[in-house]
Amino acid sequence: MFAFLKTTFLGLTRSSRVTGSLQNQLKLVVAGMKTYEEPPDYSGVVLPERPKLKFINKVPNFKKAKKEMKKLRDIRGPAQTANTFARGQYGIVALGGGYLHWGHIEMMRLTINRRIDPRTTFARWRVNAPYKPITRKGLGQRMGGGKGAIDHYVTPVRCGRMVLELGGRCEFGEVEPILTEVAKKLPFPAKVVSRESLAAMYQEERERELNNQNPWTFQRVVSTNMLGIRKVLSPFDLRHNGKYVGKFRLPGRV
Amino acid sequence: MATTLCSRAVQKLGWLPCTQSVRHGSKSVTRHRKPVHFLKQKLMALTQYIPPQPAVSERCIIPPSKQVQEESGLTRLLKREVEALFRDNKMVAVFQNNAVTAEDMLQLKHRLMKHGIAVKFYPNQVARSYLSDSKYSNLLPLFIGQNVLLVSREPKVKEMLQTLRTMPHIILLGACVEDALLSRQGVLNYSKLPSLAVIQGEVVGGLSLMTSQTASLLQHHPLQLSRLLQQYVKQQSEGDGGETEGAEAQ
Repeated sequence: MFAFLKTTFLGLTRSSRVTGSLQNQLKLVVAGMKTYEEPPDYSGVVLPERPKLKFINKVPNFKKAKKEMKKLRDIRGPAQTANTFARGQYGIVALGGGYLHWGHIEMMRLTINRRIDPRTTFARWRVNAPYKPITRKGLGQRMGGGKGAIDHYVTPVRCGRMVLELGGRCEFGEVEPILTEVAKKLPFPAKVVSRESLAAMYQEERERELNNQNPWTFQRVVSTNMLGIRKVLSPFDLRHNGKYVGKFRLPGRV
Repeated sequence: MATTLCSRAVQKLGWLPCTQSVRHGSKSVTRHRKPVHFLKQKLMALTQYIPPQPAVSERCIIPPSKQVQEESGLTRLLKREVEALFRDNKMVAVFQNNAVTAEDMLQLKHRLMKHGIAVKFYPNQVARSYLSDSKYSNLLPLFIGQNVLLVSREPKVKEMLQTLRTMPHIILLGACVEDALLSRQGVLNYSKLPSLAVIQGEVVGGLSLMTSQTASLLQHHPLQLSRLLQQYVKQQSEGDGGETEGAEAQ
């Protein structure tokens, strides 16, 4: 083998003298090995039969539709139901209150059904079909003459409620762009979360409450009615400690 | 939000203020951000979150955590190879190579292979991790920077140094010859030593010096031997006379 190498080497040198170019430069190539992280284990994950979001009706099946009062309190304050994960791994959580109408719901359904791979991921609704009737008077009508006719139906969503859930054999990075695309178009501020990130969010909130260095907290001042401040505040503020104003959530409040 | 004037009865159950503001422009839940009452603004400003601030910041005290990386399969393989290397080869020399071209390296390998010396390259990380656990831990300072290992089953230091005389950019750092760690000077001294047979011969010669001398004496001519003995007797008698004179003088 070395005799062969010798002849090739000499051959190269001879050729270099003749041509005088830099073609005979040998290169030492070193090989290494890249180690990859182990892919996640999806052996326990069971995909449901219908992985896509089901179609939601624009109008509920009433024999007789009744007009309802405005009842804006269904937007106000934090969500008490459906604020944790049920079956999925990743989802959209509402960070403010608002009404979802059929257009929003269709947008969500179509985008997600188009973007997910039904063999590996499934999606589930966490909001009801629109049930609250919203009335509108005709164009150019004067005040009075009774309540308007039912125009459309909406679903009220409170702050902290889960809107959608996604799960299956997928990672957060795959799912995040799909959900952010949807979350941006919702009528209230929404955030894409996974189980871990949602738990971390709540944990951080509790920690902030505990390690607050300010001796004066909203709860302390208002519950003891210092300086008669309850004159300018509502019982809602007492209940929610100044974190919510109407349908908005004030993020920096502890 | 309707205006109410509370009665005494209500005060007993839950506390509501006696008077409530009458002015209300909009409902409590609005699409826009409602203008906040000045007193409420003051309250919100007073009750803001103040984060904890330790006297010395965390960054000054807590050292940055070092991530311990798991050994990959390749490093484990290389480690086993290094182990076998130290086990099988009697001579392991560490050299520093400064920008040796591929052609020079090829020639060097060819020349060394004639004497049975192999040229080995191993990553420093692997070598260091092996040496720190083994008995050769004193070789650790050598494995910094670019280095080459020249190994052979038999310790052929002289041939190795001769071959490398023409390459001044391959510098000897140290060696481990037959489980003895040698520095650069030590290796040079080792190379100057004669072969084992010669040394053994010298030792044997030194031991049998007296017997060989007597053997050569006895092999002289008998006339010379008798003259030697006469001289010896004369010396002895002179010596005795001198002693007795010395004793008498005292």
